Amino acid sequence: MTRLKDISVRVEPGAGIAPITAGMVAAGGLGGGVAAILAELVTLLERLADSGTAAAIDLRSLPMSPQDRVELERALGEGEVQASVTAHGVSAIRETGIAGIWWVEHRDPQGAPIAEFLEVTRVPQILAAAPEEIAAAAAALHAQITAIAATRPS
Amino acid sequence: MARTNAERQDAPTVGEMLLRHGISRRGFIQYCTAVASALALPPWMGPAMADQLRNAPRPSVIYLSFQECTGCLESLTRSFNPSIENLIFNVISLDYNDTLMAAAGEAAEAARDKAIKDNFGKYVLVVDGSIPTGAGGAYCTAGGRSAVDTLREAAKGAAAIVCVGTCSAFGGIPFADPNPTEAWPVTAIVGDKPIINVSGCPPIPEVITGTLLQFVSTGKIPDLDEHRRPKAFFGNTIHDRCYRRPFYDQGKFAKSFDDEGARNGWCLYELGCKGPTTYNACATLKWNGGVSFPIQSGHGCLGCSEPNFWDKGSFYSALSTASWGKAGETAPLRVLEVAGGAAAAGAVLGVAAAGVSRLHQHRSEHGPDNEPKGS
Repeated sequence: MTRLKDISVRVEPGAGIAPITAGMVAAGGLGGGVAAILAELVTLLERLADSGTAAAIDLRSLPMSPQDRVELERALGEGEVQASVTAHGVSAIRETGIAGIWWVEHRDPQGAPIAEFLEVTRVPQILAAAPEEIAAAAAALHAQITAIAATRPS
Repeated sequence: MARTNAERQDAPTVGEMLLRHGISRRGFIQYCTAVASALALPPWMGPAMADQLRNAPRPSVIYLSFQECTGCLESLTRSFNPSIENLIFNVISLDYNDTLMAAAGEAAEAARDKAIKDNFGKYVLVVDGSIPTGAGGAYCTAGGRSAVDTLREAAKGAAAIVCVGTCSAFGGIPFADPNPTEAWPVTAIVGDKPIINVSGCPPIPEVITGTLLQFVSTGKIPDLDEHRRPKAFFGNTIHDRCYRRPFYDQGKFAKSFDDEGARNGWCLYELGCKGPTTYNACATLKWNGGVSFPIQSGHGCLGCSEPNFWDKGSFYSALSTASWGKAGETAPLRVLEVAGGAAAAGAVLGVAAAGVSRLHQHRSEHGPDNEPKGS
């Protein structure tokens, strides 16, 4: 009878990833998937610059190894803006080091990742206030002012 | 035109329901974005779905359970994203489900009849379980009505029918040899409605909820494969997306469940895995909120989302020796279409018993490949 300790465990190598150097992409040094994503991002950025058309890449739809992910994060770098939206779950929005490319990760209320995108846009849609909410907000604020005024002694 | 308060009370839009439950616009965008991602829809579809749904009244859903084990409903209630409570309370109006609803007996039957009348032509009919036609339908009755009669009546006013589970989609285990109740899938009974098959024994919960949500948000039938299954979930075989696939390609196979190969996580093909001929999303969406799936737990795929999986030889015989062949070659639907000599399978069984006996006659004329179960 096999005992638990007899079952061999194999650990996949994850450490020792070489740093990305300039020209690695051009030289084909990156994993094929990462190079393809970066090339697509260039196209999407050019379209955003020319016509203002926003786009997104669904990272969960692409087969990526943990190493591919590290390489992609390293290639894009960190930008200046980090934001989080706490609504149904928590969404983390990070500007990458490339202007116009945002790394957006949505988590469910239990904290499990449920969607992940690279958004190519001026500002991710989930951050912006919606026009209908703005209209309702003006009325709500006005009502609040009226209520406060009513409680003041005349 | 602005909605009155009474309208808001009686038939709230999804957005109004969400606000009542404290879910903001951004929260709903998060939710829809995740669903769109799970459905492999284009990334902009999530926010578009959110907009579309927020301004629409909640669609009525009627869920009928026939010859089944309730495993599909057990699966559905464990959907993580979209969660079933979110779906029921916010997005759809689940007007009849005999297991989940508080009402029972005549009150429950009356609720179903009212939902059918009030939403005629607009509701989504979910069917779980096969439909027995033997003994005049007596093997499955509720409130004095047989499953086959209840299905026909409820189907008349449905905008679409979603068959949840292999039993309603392909006949499933009740249809398996010798099919003592003369069970059939929904496609054999109803021929004039759009039908989406969400097969699996049970189906992955997120595949059920995702399919429902996609239909109610777009109002369109998604792209379907030859067995009417949504391509978003059934577009690839388990084998295509299996993390053990590299071992198959290298010719490294486990030969028994406790040998060196099994311990090293090699391919389970020789232990009977049906992954290569089974279309489903287990290898990508996985189960229990993405924790694992059968192959990851060390057992081969049974092929439960394919027609006739129960009758295709041992689960532990390699595909090369078992009688599987190409996935779904012997779908019952095809048998019926051949038998009727007409395009609509439903037209054949629309005349119940006479149709069934014609089918039997036809099958015996066409050899064992088309031989039905229990004839």
